[in-house]
Amino acid sequence: ETRNKSKIMKALVLCMDVGFSMSNSAPGEEPPFELAKKVIQKFVQRQVFAENKDELALVLFGTDSTKNPLDRDGQYQNITVHRHLMIPDFELLEEIENQVHPESQQADWMDALVVCMDLLQTETKGKKFDRLNVALLTDLSTQANQDHLDVIIENLKQAGITLQFFLPFPAEDDEEGGGDSDRRGPGHPGTGKGLSREQKESLDLVKHVMLSLDEEDGLDQVYTFRFERDAIEQLCMFKRIERRPMAWPCQLTIGSCLSIRIVGYKAVTEERLKKMWVTVDAQSNQKEDVKRETVYCLDDDNETEVKKDDTIQGFRYGSDIVPFSKVDQDQMKYKHDGKCFAVLGFTKQNLVRRHQFMGSQVVKMFAPKDDEHAGVALSALIRALDELQMVAIVRYAYDRRSNPQVGAAFPCVKQDYECLMYVQLPFMEDLRQFTFPSLENNKKLSPSDTQLSAVDSLIDSMMLVQKDDDDADQKDIFKVHHIPNPAFQRHFQCLHHRAVNPGTPLPPMEPWLKAALERPDVISERCQAPLEEIKRKFPLIEVEKKKKLKTSAQIFGKDAEEPDAKKAKGDEEEDYNLADIAEGSVTSVGSVDPARDFRTLIKLKSLPFGEVCQQLTHRIEQLLSNKNTHYYMKSITCIQAFREQSVKVNKHSLSSFWEKLMMTWEFLF
Amino acid sequence: MAEWNAYYQNEDEDEEQEEGEQSGGDYKVTGRDSLVFLVDASKEMFIKGEDGEPSNFDMTMQVVRSVYTSKIISSHRDLVALVFYGTEQSKNPRNSFKYVYVYHDLDEPGAKRVQEVDALRGEKGARLAAETMGSGETSLGDALWCCANLYSDIKLRLSHKRLMIFTCRDEPHRGDSAKDRQARTKASDLKETGVIIDLMHLMKPGGFDVAPFFRDIVSQPEDESELGLHLEPCDKLEDLQKRVRAKEQKKRAMARLNLCLGEGINVAVGIYATAVTARKPAAIRLYRETNEPVRSKTRTFHMQTGSLLLPSEIKKAQTYGKKQIVMERDEVDSIKKFQDPGLYLIGFKPMEKLKTHHHIRPAVFLYPEEGEVKGSACLFSALLMKCSERNVFALCRCVSRRNYPPRFVALVPQREEVDEGKVQFTPPGFNVIYLPYADDLRTLDPPQCPSASQIQVDKMKEIVSKLRFKYRSEAFENPVIQQHYRNLEALALDMMAPEDTEDLIMPKVDQINHRLGPLAEEFKDLVYPAGYNPESKSVAKRKTAIVGGVAEKKPKAEVPEDELRAHVQNGTLGKLTVPVLKEACKQFGVRTTGTKKQELIDALTTRLTDTV
Repeated sequence: ETRNKSKIMKALVLCMDVGFSMSNSAPGEEPPFELAKKVIQKFVQRQVFAENKDELALVLFGTDSTKNPLDRDGQYQNITVHRHLMIPDFELLEEIENQVHPESQQADWMDALVVCMDLLQTETKGKKFDRLNVALLTDLSTQANQDHLDVIIENLKQAGITLQFFLPFPAEDDEEGGGDSDRRGPGHPGTGKGLSREQKESLDLVKHVMLSLDEEDGLDQVYTFRFERDAIEQLCMFKRIERRPMAWPCQLTIGSCLSIRIVGYKAVTEERLKKMWVTVDAQSNQKEDVKRETVYCLDDDNETEVKKDDTIQGFRYGSDIVPFSKVDQDQMKYKHDGKCFAVLGFTKQNLVRRHQFMGSQVVKMFAPKDDEHAGVALSALIRALDELQMVAIVRYAYDRRSNPQVGAAFPCVKQDYECLMYVQLPFMEDLRQFTFPSLENNKKLSPSDTQLSAVDSLIDSMMLVQKDDDDADQKDIFKVHHIPNPAFQRHFQCLHHRAVNPGTPLPPMEPWLKAALERPDVISERCQAPLEEIKRKFPLIEVEKKKKLKTSAQIFGKDAEEPDAKKAKGDEEEDYNLADIAEGSVTSVGSVDPARDFRTLIKLKSLPFGEVCQQLTHRIEQLLSNKNTHYYMKSITCIQAFREQSVKVNKHSLSSFWEKLMMTWEFLF
Repeated sequence: MAEWNAYYQNEDEDEEQEEGEQSGGDYKVTGRDSLVFLVDASKEMFIKGEDGEPSNFDMTMQVVRSVYTSKIISSHRDLVALVFYGTEQSKNPRNSFKYVYVYHDLDEPGAKRVQEVDALRGEKGARLAAETMGSGETSLGDALWCCANLYSDIKLRLSHKRLMIFTCRDEPHRGDSAKDRQARTKASDLKETGVIIDLMHLMKPGGFDVAPFFRDIVSQPEDESELGLHLEPCDKLEDLQKRVRAKEQKKRAMARLNLCLGEGINVAVGIYATAVTARKPAAIRLYRETNEPVRSKTRTFHMQTGSLLLPSEIKKAQTYGKKQIVMERDEVDSIKKFQDPGLYLIGFKPMEKLKTHHHIRPAVFLYPEEGEVKGSACLFSALLMKCSERNVFALCRCVSRRNYPPRFVALVPQREEVDEGKVQFTPPGFNVIYLPYADDLRTLDPPQCPSASQIQVDKMKEIVSKLRFKYRSEAFENPVIQQHYRNLEALALDMMAPEDTEDLIMPKVDQINHRLGPLAEEFKDLVYPAGYNPESKSVAKRKTAIVGGVAEKKPKAEVPEDELRAHVQNGTLGKLTVPVLKEACKQFGVRTTGTKKQELIDALTTRLTDTV
């Protein structure tokens, strides 16, 4: 039963008004047409890259021509089915970019809706779609034909089609403090004022339709796009039609006598891009041309290769290395009974500190849909915890293969639902008890009263949540959880660009994407003066550091045991002395520190000159054959050593080696 | 991704996602950390407390053992030594010091050493100590000198050097001023070479007075305000453990960044990971013949020509439908770049706006770096005080490393807290809470359920109250990791069987049942109708699952070839399920290393488009 849920398929019709009124805008503002197109583009882009099996159609209205199956007897005019229901692809993206323009007609949005419904009904025949949805983007400036309103609503209900409206103005007045007032930018006038009669009537109609479909939350599906900044937030409105996470049925147990059936859903987790990059050959672009191979070698001077079959698995136990075969490991490893959500005990909420949350997710636990009794039992637990300000500490195991966790189940009592929220907590092994010098008890550091009041005014000026004077209603003007991940947006933009224009450089970041990540303008203005004050009151002086040596080793990160590149580069007389040399007798250029061995041997003159050089060259070639930055860095130090010596010693005799080396080197970079 | 198990990495999989940023151990350091335990072995240390309380010596050995084992788990490359002073016997590298017994010289701790420390615990341990080392005269100066030699004998580069003195005698030389002077000189020599000396003073009758002697021995705190000398001596194992723990780990910043409040107002801060998920370490490969570790080298070469491929001869690609999109390697990185690393203040919000469920990653900790920008600590401190006082958090945009896309974080103020012994248990600074983007929140359909009545809720409250306990985050060990190390320990020491580990996150069912008594039944009577069994449904299910899983295999899912090709052509392979795709891979002899759906699709697509 749960399996099937993950295969939910959706069919969506994007229905966009391209009529002439959509091109109207106040000076300095972008016309609704452009904003609507952007919303659609970004949405289709996401769909293309999400590669799910959802199908999508595009219907335009207000077009100069008419192309739809209902076009008969002068009805349903100026409505064009631009794209029939199918999986969105790059072609659709290109079509939207190049073929969707503002046109000069107007069409009845209600007619357009009927065309969309008809399209959904005929084109989903024989296919199994779980969700049907129409998204209308329009300014509602035509008068709608209301003749068949009831039939239309009835049809929508029966076919299970859900509706969303995207309007260039808010559907409700701000004064009403309506459903979603926080989504709007601050300081913009309410609606109703600048609207035409047609728009006002249409808006009432929209509300009527939406409330008929869903009495409670219908109006939540009417969205506003007015500014660039809104556009990025529009994308998450499509979330309502996204697939639902998988259910995890289990039992919450308190001892062995009391259990409650529950179903868990992953509610919050860091979403990642699904697709990985594969390595291809730069010439052919074929991944088959590239082969990666891992070889194993002994840690001796010759780096003797050994076959994988001749190796066994082991683990480190401090300084010991313990051979431990996979079979033994599986047999001896910690095993448990599998799926579990067992209460260990209850504790005060304030003992579970927010910064100790571990893991990368929050799981919400509900009662199963069809089990009222479980619902009541769970509700009793949730409410008991909520009233006592406590949490359950639980053992949680997803299944038999996964490691058990310890975590906290928080009560969550909302107006329309109740649940437990599970968060993983740390194990003793995860914690690092650091102590830091006290800040407040340090007289040198403690801020003065004037300094503190400067910080006070800064906080005043930068509050992102504003209290309205009259009531407790707070407006949050920067909701992070309403911002779609900008990294995805940028990723798709670049992929899209490269797919359509191969061979051209990647485009710059879109300005609206950058803007969405900035401090809101109101705040920037307000905090100007307090920031100046902070600057005056708190002197900040960058500490002059010795110029940081930006060696490539530093950039690439280097192993702790590697010879310091800086050292090798410096005056070698200081860096190694005879004591060093005497420490271990160097007889050949080894692989651990070839540069040093080389220098030592040259100094000791224990081997013929040419031979030492040859040994070094050999080592360098060996190092370079490893595709690994560490080895590159090592070889750089070798070459440096080589050069130093060549300056001092007979230049002529070294030049041939030098040339050979440089050839290897050039070949590499 | 709607797959639940996506989160659960297989134990042997070490693939960290590209942005898995909480490694916490990515320090740019050269050299090893080292720690010397210098333990008083005088008679006084062996006196047992009242009511059979363990002796100071016993307590110390327990702490040493726990440091050894935790080093093995978390930082096996650190060097640790155990040296006794005030002994009768002498044992040190050149045997030049009397009354100093080097039990373990500076080295990585291993299984054998753990065993050897174990041997010194308890009654038996006291006897063994008396036999092997005995108690004799004391010369702390010689002991320190000997430790200095331990450090200088080490060929490796040491980055952090610490020495901890465990004693219950505040006047070890009983007023012998020559010896006191020598000890002071040696201590200052040690300190000059960068060794930090701590005193872990233990309880003795009449109290421990740090002032006359040890004040000059121990290192001055890093900062004048640091609580360097704990005024109260330790008398509990737990306290001692805490004190040692707090000093034993060298704290290192994961990153140093600027917290930018506005144009030209940059506060230098360090980011610290205070909780990092400990994982079982990766296996290492050993050569079968000799059990010596082998190194692996991965090479990329051209299939046809067999020549090694240089970074410039490689590109990165993704395929969508039939379209291949190719980028240079540095382009792939540059896509992720938005800004340079740093924290940028957006504004402030009241604490109640930080939702419990807005959690995507473990938090990190922020502390000023006065050494980078002078004045940072003062402004940081002012922000901390004011945010805490006004109960607000700072909202920042955060780029933690080069080429990382931005995240928003809440900087939550945390004031310093110290316990009765003046030991800090909460450091001052900001906790950095990572906030989710819209994409990270999933839409759920909560079921419509009736709420419980107050009588039902009250009954549950009784149950909750019966099972109250005081949660401490350090109370739960990870049974998986503990078992793993017990196994290794057993193998390393040729033990017959690994030591038992107690699974601390297992509910104590009998105790719970006993505590609840009739309450469980009473609650069930209130919420469940007669004959309702919450376990019935899933029990039935589990049975069939076992039968299906073991006895009979599911019928093979096969798709005709032309249908597959059509899917490939239309880019609709994604419609098929993973088992079907796997079967198809087998059918066409496509070898895939991955089991992820996308990998299967990619593999099939390339295979089938080639042969079209």
